[in-house]
Amino acid sequence: MLSAQGLSVSAIGKTFRSGGQTVQALDDISLSLPAGKVGVLLGPSGCGKSTLLRMVAGLEKPSEGAITLNGRAVNQPGRDRGMVFQDYTSFPWLSVRSNVAYGLEINGDRDALNEGTVDHFIRAVGLEKFADAYPHQLSGGMRQRVAIARTLANYPELVLMDEPFGALDPETRWQMQDLLLNVVRKEQNTVLVVTHDIEEALYLGDVVFFLSRHPGRLKETIHTDFKALLPRNDREAFLQSEDYRRLEIHIRRLMRDEGRDAA
Amino acid sequence: MTAKLSDKATQQAMIPATPTGKQRQKRSDYWFDFNQSIPAGQRLVLGAAGWAAFLLLWQVTSQMDLAPDRLYPGPAAVFSSLQELFLEKGFFSDVVSSVTRIVISFAIAIVIALPIGLLMGSFARVDSLLNPLLGAWRYLPAPAFIPLLLMWLGTGDTQKITLLLMGVVFFLVIMLADVTRQTPRVLIETAKTLGGGRRIILWTVLFRHSLPGYVDTCRQMLAVSWTYLVIAEIVAATDGIGAMMMRAKRFVHVDDIMAGIVTIGVLGLLFDVLFRLIYRKCFPYLGRAQS
Ligand SMILES: Nc1ncnc2c1ncn2[C@@H]1O[C@H](COP(=O)(O)OP(=O)(O)OP(=O)(O)O)[C@@H](O)[C@H]1O
Ligand SMILES: [Mg+2]
Repeated sequence: MLSAQGLSVSAIGKTFRSGGQTVQALDDISLSLPAGKVGVLLGPSGCGKSTLLRMVAGLEKPSEGAITLNGRAVNQPGRDRGMVFQDYTSFPWLSVRSNVAYGLEINGDRDALNEGTVDHFIRAVGLEKFADAYPHQLSGGMRQRVAIARTLANYPELVLMDEPFGALDPETRWQMQDLLLNVVRKEQNTVLVVTHDIEEALYLGDVVFFLSRHPGRLKETIHTDFKALLPRNDREAFLQSEDYRRLEIHIRRLMRDEGRDAA
Repeated sequence: MTAKLSDKATQQAMIPATPTGKQRQKRSDYWFDFNQSIPAGQRLVLGAAGWAAFLLLWQVTSQMDLAPDRLYPGPAAVFSSLQELFLEKGFFSDVVSSVTRIVISFAIAIVIALPIGLLMGSFARVDSLLNPLLGAWRYLPAPAFIPLLLMWLGTGDTQKITLLLMGVVFFLVIMLADVTRQTPRVLIETAKTLGGGRRIILWTVLFRHSLPGYVDTCRQMLAVSWTYLVIAEIVAATDGIGAMMMRAKRFVHVDDIMAGIVTIGVLGLLFDVLFRLIYRKCFPYLGRAQS
């Protein structure tokens, strides 16, 4: 069914002009992400993943094409599209609790604040012991959990994440991936994540959009339906499954072809 | 477990065996090292040592017959005349006049500079409109306006406060705008994607993030304010620290002049400490490295 629910990107192009030079970052990208699914943007560095995500957030204007979320046109940032940035953004002057409450506060969402939404999401990301701490007292992984809780507590229709775990050590990164999946499955969020890590892409994504470089184009859309048959939160079973290995090799080849084209 | 073991192994491999534990500690405990944080007590002792050295140098040179005692009195003479000034010559009311001028003019400067600086630092169009104008005014030395101010405003407090204001306000606007501009873009974008409008982001992100920087900038500009105060009071005044010093000059009371200088130094230091205290009390979240 081609419903209006979810994210729809149609024929998006983006050209940057700076100092007389023009860089075409993205060309004719069309994709759709149904509500409640996790989509992943995967591709080599510089292919325009961040640019595409920022356009969906409304932080950047597309040069061509249109974006709609649940049937409404996107042309500026809004509460319906929350974003988790790569660099663990938290407001340093606010405690963890106030950081998580920030979105609801500025939107005057008294109902959500009174219902204990803030504490619910602080618990969901396992920071209840640090609710009164300030960001400078937390590790990078914990600060990113604050950012995730702050984004989710605001009840966005779409959660955008730009390499959210890129700078974490592998162990923390795996924990965070599981934590994210658990929370968004429970809350039934629609999520679009940028990564350049193949394992992370396949582990998180219901659908993976592979972008090619110079200019960024949608090269392949990969569905990960095979995960439905695997036990949940079992990374080993996932990594050892036939389908994962096949897709991993396939994407590795796509990546290598990209590298060759660039050279 | 294995990680710990290998850590130990590399440490042993890297640090050559030292004969005593004492010597090893010495290597890592330099008297001078980068990014050192030293105990508060030691900081006080060091600060006092600096002062003691200065006073000693002053005392010794004043006894060396470089100049007549009357023109170059030692610290003891200056402190006794300071005492005399406060106890017998009503110097306290001069100090009050001077501090009042500083506080009033600086308060007006903040009230004017803060909104303009915030808007300039936040919005490129406001900045483009005002920066060339205010940036140029900044280069006009305020004392150059003294003749005009004297004609327009007379010799009263209004003239002095205006001079202080002119000396400080243009710098303050530009510096507060600079502080505002330092607000990380990603914080603003985070607030936008949480649904914040312009007014909300202006106050809850740009202003709030810049607040510590504002306090620090004010602390530094206050020092400049004192410079203009002395100029204003030397030119035309019947009261104030500068006026007292000019009176003393007429009678070659060098010890009184130096006592005035010491007073200004101490007051400046007090204001500085006050601002630092405000900073520490109001911004505990800057305790460690600021992000
Ligand atoms: N503001 C800008 N001005 C000019 N060019 C830009 C701008 N932002 C991005 N680009 C260009 O657009 C292209 C895509 O950049 P983008 O940051 O979206 O890539 P990315 O896929 O996120 O890369 P990475 O994986 O390294 O983060 C790059 O060639 C980059 O140089
Ligand atoms: Mg990027």
